[in-house]
Amino acid sequence: MQVAIEGPWSPLFGRLTLDAIPYNNPIIVPTFIVAALAGLVAVGAVLYYKKLGYIWREWLCSVDHKKIGVMYIILGLVMLFRGYADGLMIRTQQAIAIGPNSPGFLGAKHGYLPPFHFDQIYSAHGTIMLIFAATPLLTGLGNVIVPLQIGARDMAFPYLNATSLWLTFAGAALVMISLFVGEFSSATWVGLMPYSEMASNPGVGVDYWMWAIQISSIGTTFNSINIIATIVKMRAPGMTWFKLPVFSWVQLTTAIIGLTAFPILTVALTMLGIDRYLGTHFFTAGMGGNFMLYINLFWIWGHPEVYFLVLPAFGVLSEVVPAFSRKALFGYPTMVAASFSIAGIGWMVWAHHFFTMGMGPNQIGFFSAATMIVGIPTGVKAFNWLFTMYRGRISYETPMLWAMISIVLLLIGGLTGMMLSASVIDYSVHDSVFVVAHFHCMVLVIGASAFAAVIFWWPKVFGFKLNETLGKWFFWTFIAGSLLVFVPMFMAGLAGETRRLDYVFNTALAPYMLWEEVGVLVYLASIFFFVAMLVVSLWQRVPAGESPWGTERGLEWLTRTPVPFYNFAVTPHVNALDETSWRREVGAALRPTRYVPIHLPHGSGLPFILGMDVFAWGFALTWRIDWLIVLTTIAMIAIVFIRSFDRNEGFIIPAEEVEAYEANISTASIFAEQPKRGHGLVGEAH
Amino acid sequence: MRVLGLVALLAPLMLAGCSVHDMVLFFPAGPMAASELHYTYLITGIMMVIIVPTLLMSIWFPIKYHISRQHKEKYTPDWTFSYAIEVLAWGIPLGIVAVLAWLSVHGIRGIDPWNPPLLAKIAPNAPVEEVDVIATDWQWVFIYPAEKLVTIDELTIPAGARIDLKLTATQNMDGFYIPQVAPMVDAMPAMQTKDTFLVSQPGDFTGFSTDFSGAGFSWMRFAVHAVSTADFAAWVQSHQGAAPLDYAAFDAHIAQPQVNYGATPSYFTLTDPKLFGEVISAAQMGKTYPVSQALNKAVADDDAAPVAGAQ
Ligand code: HEM
Ligand SMILES: [Cu+2]
Ligand SMILES: [Cu+2]
Repeated sequence: MQVAIEGPWSPLFGRLTLDAIPYNNPIIVPTFIVAALAGLVAVGAVLYYKKLGYIWREWLCSVDHKKIGVMYIILGLVMLFRGYADGLMIRTQQAIAIGPNSPGFLGAKHGYLPPFHFDQIYSAHGTIMLIFAATPLLTGLGNVIVPLQIGARDMAFPYLNATSLWLTFAGAALVMISLFVGEFSSATWVGLMPYSEMASNPGVGVDYWMWAIQISSIGTTFNSINIIATIVKMRAPGMTWFKLPVFSWVQLTTAIIGLTAFPILTVALTMLGIDRYLGTHFFTAGMGGNFMLYINLFWIWGHPEVYFLVLPAFGVLSEVVPAFSRKALFGYPTMVAASFSIAGIGWMVWAHHFFTMGMGPNQIGFFSAATMIVGIPTGVKAFNWLFTMYRGRISYETPMLWAMISIVLLLIGGLTGMMLSASVIDYSVHDSVFVVAHFHCMVLVIGASAFAAVIFWWPKVFGFKLNETLGKWFFWTFIAGSLLVFVPMFMAGLAGETRRLDYVFNTALAPYMLWEEVGVLVYLASIFFFVAMLVVSLWQRVPAGESPWGTERGLEWLTRTPVPFYNFAVTPHVNALDETSWRREVGAALRPTRYVPIHLPHGSGLPFILGMDVFAWGFALTWRIDWLIVLTTIAMIAIVFIRSFDRNEGFIIPAEEVEAYEANISTASIFAEQPKRGHGLVGEAH
Repeated sequence: MRVLGLVALLAPLMLAGCSVHDMVLFFPAGPMAASELHYTYLITGIMMVIIVPTLLMSIWFPIKYHISRQHKEKYTPDWTFSYAIEVLAWGIPLGIVAVLAWLSVHGIRGIDPWNPPLLAKIAPNAPVEEVDVIATDWQWVFIYPAEKLVTIDELTIPAGARIDLKLTATQNMDGFYIPQVAPMVDAMPAMQTKDTFLVSQPGDFTGFSTDFSGAGFSWMRFAVHAVSTADFAAWVQSHQGAAPLDYAAFDAHIAQPQVNYGATPSYFTLTDPKLFGEVISAAQMGKTYPVSQALNKAVADDDAAPVAGAQ
């Protein structure tokens, strides 16, 4: 009972035909060749150095929260690069295609991308940056840091944690493969409605977008459950709620948002899926459909989603600013209250994304005022960070540079956000690039905080620091690029430039477009310095010692550095909010004197296999390959069954072995290969 | 070669830089846009009360308390709470938000596009000109019911008159917007919205769609000519006798997906006074104008074969 679809369909391949592969596209083919070569080199290197077994056992099968977190972050960085490439192409198109006399290349009337291609890039950029770059980066950070900060061995559900990771990977893989097989959605990251319905979008693009988000957001929902359970149930003895570090607090608020908001998206996308596959009319314009319902549902998820992203960034700032101000966080209780206020009020503001959709002034007034109220706790946070610096001793290591610029960007983004939330202003700049510049300021806060966090906690995880000189080059080039792109973008917004333009008819906008192009090229330099920073630091691997920055405060710094796979040799008793600096101050013992056996879960290949299966499922659904949909669905159920009857209860590391690891910590680091362990008896260990 | 030419063309442009006059939002041409600008200044100004000091602190504190000045400055590592500061940290934003929220509610009530009290106050006796707007994929259709005239991609209106727009769309959601003149309001299929504005002096403007609606979206612009009442009558007169347009003709030709790259206007005589309502009912009954992949690919693509309907 499928809907009529445009183009051929065969039982074996569904909608997939050779035409779906853009073998004659002058942009995609070289991209494919480069990607394929890079993939071959990577696989070749793994085989040559005989590391396949290591990667399978120690990474792909891992349920260790730190490794899962690191893989999330790697995914986020790779997708950040892909998203940047999209951004570069968007900017270049808009820098060329200005006015009726602008030249056309590669078959396009203006610029070098016809709308069919440009709109996909545009939609992919937003989807990737928010869902597959920012989200994995922050989820990864939460994964690495939260258990360490609360003195836990791992997440509450390590196996579920790995499942979340591989579901996110599956979603990202769907987006990536849409580049080479078929096409991506042109309906932007929000899934414009009714534009995403079959009438305007008969191709597979919207289906790719829908399943990619659907799959990865289920991963995110799982991860939220995991974080909540971990923080509520697994805090070390002595860690009362008001000794919980702020980063963990915001992870808790974020996870509550995630758990409550993502299911709304799941429902909305499912309804869209039923429309597109079974021909119902939930969101069509006519036949009793109501596309404004979708727009509401999307933003009821979408606005909390932006706070889902920015709150962890606020958490990072609350850790990094005190560390490099050599001073405890100012106003801890109000910081916690502010996080919850933001998360709570964030639920009541969604309609500010469509003030122009014909609401009456009273509804608009409500949502406008509610949106402004979010500004209050946000302002409180900024003040508290500033008063953390006040009468501190500040040094400008790279994490602190990123933190300081985050605060400035937050002020600009907050100012413009407040302007937009005044609907009387929004009536003149809604859907203009002014809005785009506003949220990029905010997204830059997220990016900058993520960089701060990665650099700050890098030595904790890997045992060596990142090169500070190259890190500073990375910082300054990134900031220069951002200024050059977003200052002109704000101005172009005031000049009335609409967003999502393939062709800019207003030639007065040319200078803005060109400055933005310069900025986006400057970002290339920052990418170069970022990669150089990674390569040089990995090459040198200068041991960071137990206190890499000399100013660490939280409980996570109480483990050995690099952190061993079992985290704390002995679960610590927590006495203070900033446990490590408290122990240093009062001269309490930093290390245990007596060791006890440790109980840990075994790794498992099932989450990875499940992820691959779900990827195939998404691909089959996109191309409507019925037999593969059935097959992969059965496989999914089978995997869950197999896991449900697994009686493996993990293994135990004897106390002597723990002592040996602690004496020679590199043998327990994230890179070290661990021996295969049998099933241990549970009950005596901790 | 073409690339070189491009660089030669663009370099002077960049050096010329951006002129304030490009930022059209600062130059309103009617009371609605003027009110938007007024509130932009007001709200941004009030925000500066909090943004400027905070920005200064965020620059000044890191410099003043830099570790290299540790002998000169106080250091209070354990000073982590102060009721006075927290009261200010919550109180100042609270106060400012209270003012801004009040202004915002007040402002939006004034320019409510359904029936703006602002216009009733400023120009209570202004004549009313009704125009019905239909956004198609990807053109703008303007129906003048009183004048029995239909234009495509051109909106000519009498200056000084209150313009009452009803908006809808054939298939996708578009944003109707004329910077400097009219607030942005969405045009949605199967639904009707309203926009109301007034242009104070004769002048020429450009309107366009702000809400992405597909491959031809970037070309969805229309010329706006605000003219004197006499010129308006003359303009209407000059288009008497244009080809007739009823729902059937609209459905068969104008509503079909097509791009008007040059935004060249065309004119018709309205022979079906219920056209606007019929477009809405048809959309409610499920009427769509499917855009095939082939058409999507053909828009603004030099290589593709021209598509029926596309100019
Ligand atoms: C003080 C806090 C903030 C206020 C008052 C605010 C206000 C607004 C308003 C009113 C809009 C709608 C503008 C329009 O479409 O016309 C908007 C758009 C947006 N904001 Fe914010 N915002 C704030 C913070 C944030 C944060 C923290 C983020 C995310 C990290 C964010 C991300 C976005 C995004 C992604 C959009 C545009 C979505 C789209 O249309 O694609 N904002 N903001
Ligand atoms: Cu929002
Ligand atoms: Cu509507």
